[in-house]
Amino acid sequence: MKLACVVQRFGADVTGGSERHCRVIAEQLAAHHDVTILTSCAQDYVTWRNVYPAGASRAGPVTVLRFPVLRQRNLERLADISQVVFTTESSPEEQERWFVENGPEVPQLVDHLREHGAEYDRILFWTYRYYQTFFGLPLVADRAILVPTAEEDPLIWVDIIDQLFSLPIGYLFLTPEEAELVRARSSRPLAPSTVIGFGVDPAPAHVTEVDLSAAGISDPFILYLGRIEPNKGCETLLEYFGEYLDSASAVNHVQLVMAGFPNMPIPSHPSIKCLGVVSDAMRETLLARARLLVVPSPFESLSIVLLEAWNQGLPALVNGRCAVLQGQVVRANGGLSYRYANEFAASLTYLLTHPDVARRLGQQGLAYIEQEYRWPHVMRKVEAFLTVSGPGAV
Amino acid sequence: MADDIIRVESLRRDIEQDMRDPLRRRLLGRGGSPEYQDRDVFRSVDGLLRRVFDSPESYALLPEFLGPESDWRLQPDFRFTSHRRVGGPFVLFVKRRILLPLTRWLYDYTVDNFQRQDRFNGTLIACIEELAIENARLRRDLERLGQRLTPLAK
Repeated sequence: MKLACVVQRFGADVTGGSERHCRVIAEQLAAHHDVTILTSCAQDYVTWRNVYPAGASRAGPVTVLRFPVLRQRNLERLADISQVVFTTESSPEEQERWFVENGPEVPQLVDHLREHGAEYDRILFWTYRYYQTFFGLPLVADRAILVPTAEEDPLIWVDIIDQLFSLPIGYLFLTPEEAELVRARSSRPLAPSTVIGFGVDPAPAHVTEVDLSAAGISDPFILYLGRIEPNKGCETLLEYFGEYLDSASAVNHVQLVMAGFPNMPIPSHPSIKCLGVVSDAMRETLLARARLLVVPSPFESLSIVLLEAWNQGLPALVNGRCAVLQGQVVRANGGLSYRYANEFAASLTYLLTHPDVARRLGQQGLAYIEQEYRWPHVMRKVEAFLTVSGPGAV
Repeated sequence: MADDIIRVESLRRDIEQDMRDPLRRRLLGRGGSPEYQDRDVFRSVDGLLRRVFDSPESYALLPEFLGPESDWRLQPDFRFTSHRRVGGPFVLFVKRRILLPLTRWLYDYTVDNFQRQDRFNGTLIACIEELAIENARLRRDLERLGQRLTPLAK
């Protein structure tokens, strides 16, 4: 099949869950199909500044067609239109305007879809919240498959989204909770769909460990991995962890280690270590040595870092207010969840003081990965879906 | 073996149960209701409030009595309107492009508190409705019990 994957940014050095999901699925698909990535020249999602050269190039097994971003994102204008769209009864024109301001504004990519869309057998669109999907998908709806990566955020309840969700011939979801959210949002029956998740390779048998004591880290420690910002629940995590340290039940000398790009102030405290962005070796060592992974995010369509932790047999402590995280943990029996500060403290104390149970939860998480998230299993589902829906379906 | 699996839902229930007694003692120590000296009463109240907080949007009846949502729901956002047929778009443009940026500091200052208040109100309404449901259930049980006891009294 000739496939196109449309995504807002693309590259091995591009961070972001949906971008990474697109890249690895596209690379896997390229083993059996002719895959072209249609994307922007942007590298960062804040400004959408053109960094990569426009035009065609190769990235491993896939062809990449990059289109220039017409103008950088103006955050003030986006905030203004967001206020109108998310807090008032806005018009379809204002909602459409939101997508223009949110960007990345790539009219040439949309033109390419208009002129060459019919040359592709299937066109997969990643995330529903950006310009390329909103303006591009309707032009090739008869062959479009949407990977919405939807979360419980205000955008999904904007009126115009209902119309967008009625267009594709199929959906690939990351979790059953995401499928349920999109289904609940749609006023019409949804096109056929399947839940594919994400593939994880088995963890290497031996890890060359980095000396953690040099970074001031000692056992026991709990680990947060990812961008450190309020939207990811880090503010609440720091608050709850601070309360935990002050409580009588706190395990002596336990540390919270945060590894990722810091996008908010981190309090200076001997029990909180912020490492910033870490090397792969450090990441592997942290996952191998931590007592548990904490995932405080209130909005997720799939937590890849949670899958990586289970892949190493590490138990998790997740925000139970996030339906996706709660669902993942219950299905895997791979950790505990919390909703309030006292539940966070009680669950954390339990996992730290019952290492045998914690270890077993981590192993149950690993068993779940083996069952659901290995690449052959994921790609079988994707391949089956591509052949049964759309033009030329068998 | 399936039996060897540790079910996180039952583990969580055990942890919740372990949390309850220290919390009860702490509340009593801080001058909480003396009714909480009864563990069963505390468990019942704790369970009821958890049900509400886990699904605060599940209340439905009380808002029916409050009339149209626009009459009582907090609206922290600015609503820009103009009644002028001629020049209305210009007035809206001025409000959005000039007045809004100038007053954004005030909006930023108040919006968080409005949202907190809105959440708190919603939860409180849900609590009242949950208590009303509980009360109705108890009243019904009491009436049924009374009906069963009446023949015995005769």
